[in-house]
Amino acid sequence: MILKRSASYSLLFLASFLSLFPLFWTISTSIKDRVDTYSLPPKFFSFTPTLKNYISLFSLEKFWQIYSNSFIITLGSTLICLVVGSLAAYALARKPKFRGRTPLEGLMIAIRALPAIVLLLPIYKLSSYLGLYDSKMGLILIFAGFNIPFAIWLLMSFFEQIPVEIEESARVDGASTLKMFTRIILPLAAPGLVATGIFVSLLSWNEFLIPVIMAGENSKTLPVLVASFISNRTLDWGPMAAAATVALIPIVLLTVVIQRWLVAGLSSGAVKE
Amino acid sequence: MITKVPRPNLLRRKNLRPVAQFTIPTWIFFALVVLIPFFYGVYISFLNINLASFLPPSFVGFDNYQMVLAASETWSTLQITLIITFIGLLTQIPIGILLALVLHENLRGTKIFRSILITPMLLTPVAVGLTYRFMFDTDLGVINWALGSLGIEKVNWLGSQTSALFAIIIVDSWQSIPFVMLLVLAALTAISPSLYEAARVDGASVNQIFRRITLPLITPTLLVITMIKIMDFLKLFDTLFILTRGGPGNTTTTLGLWTYKTGFVFLEFSRAAALGVIITIITLPVYFLWRRASRGVR
Repeated sequence: MILKRSASYSLLFLASFLSLFPLFWTISTSIKDRVDTYSLPPKFFSFTPTLKNYISLFSLEKFWQIYSNSFIITLGSTLICLVVGSLAAYALARKPKFRGRTPLEGLMIAIRALPAIVLLLPIYKLSSYLGLYDSKMGLILIFAGFNIPFAIWLLMSFFEQIPVEIEESARVDGASTLKMFTRIILPLAAPGLVATGIFVSLLSWNEFLIPVIMAGENSKTLPVLVASFISNRTLDWGPMAAAATVALIPIVLLTVVIQRWLVAGLSSGAVKE
Repeated sequence: MITKVPRPNLLRRKNLRPVAQFTIPTWIFFALVVLIPFFYGVYISFLNINLASFLPPSFVGFDNYQMVLAASETWSTLQITLIITFIGLLTQIPIGILLALVLHENLRGTKIFRSILITPMLLTPVAVGLTYRFMFDTDLGVINWALGSLGIEKVNWLGSQTSALFAIIIVDSWQSIPFVMLLVLAALTAISPSLYEAARVDGASVNQIFRRITLPLITPTLLVITMIKIMDFLKLFDTLFILTRGGPGNTTTTLGLWTYKTGFVFLEFSRAAALGVIITIITLPVYFLWRRASRGVR
């Protein structure tokens, strides 16, 4: 024990307070009237909550379109990550050596390591030739490409836990590899698929650099909308906080559900070979 | 007498293994987002593409590289990246270790505390940046108000280079410390308790145990964290973009943000591509050190 018990607890409480305060502050600002937002000393609890900011946010011309863009792109790219990632993860988990394994793992790490801007510059130029600029499909594919490594790392750890003997008995019954994979392995790894899906959708939901470069008016996502508040000369913190809250709430809800797998996801790729 | 029969299991196991073809879809996606863009980016860096110009691009050899390496912004933004990285590491790693040690004590309520403490790293960076920008506001921000009630004068946080760099590091630390904490916690959990017991029997002090046992055993993990964090500081974009957009002037612009500005604000696309290649070259040694270090962890 490094610290006394009381010191440990004070540290934990202090850290928890610092961790949660900005979240609390965003949400409380989002339900404050203008007068309360700009009052000094700041009002922490003694104000009358209002939905004004949300109403003005929701009545923004493009708000619902942007919100649904975020959902569609997150959902689409997550599905691709799961399908494509689970196939590769299974191969990597079960077959220790095959041609192309090393370069594949190298690319996975390269995606994690390289600043995305390095790859997004050429992708931007290429996508205008392919007509993928400002298209939801284009964003789904690019999001998926950048997130597949994380899906693979996470899914590998789940596949490795499934005993090989189960597959052997299936093979005796004459099942093909693909059939065995879809009928036996995937159902057994269902919790892993759910956890991976949630983790990857979190990455997509939060992504900013890709859409800020690749999305125009049609495919803008929520983080781009949230960021666009800052460029207005008249900073209006209420609706801004409402926009931030709308982006944050799904995450907070999801993470409560997947606490257990989160830790594995968050450190994925960091220490695995 | 027992005759030796070939073990059917072993024979079958060969066919049983999933085929390497399972990785083909992944290869297609990697070609789409890494391989093709990377080589195309290298190609672009030898042309003179300007997004505002309608002239057909021509081949200019190493001109872009010469220009980029001669530009003072390249060096000043690299310097700013290094400053943020250095101070950021010095902040985040010790605090991350301390929190991991406290969580590792397994006091009552540890699970709840852990859940709370990892929340920051999950939140949308753009929204986090926005919130902090409000909190850092000179006149209305809650941070200056809190400092004021301690008798400290108002700081114009985002108005000068030094304080803006501090603000950026504070926000990044807020989101990154949980990551350090989680990895260190995993390393601590892997240390056998018998080591501690033996040390305690020998009468080692808490301090000695930490310096002689814990620290050496988590060093490989700390190296991995350092490498990953260096790469992440090179990537730093979202919160930086919201908080200062690299300002005032270019005084908080990192190399990554500078590449973005060169390409998408000044529209000097080929020059930005050259910067991209340079960033890749900077990342390479970190990448290899990371691969090496991560072998030590498991």
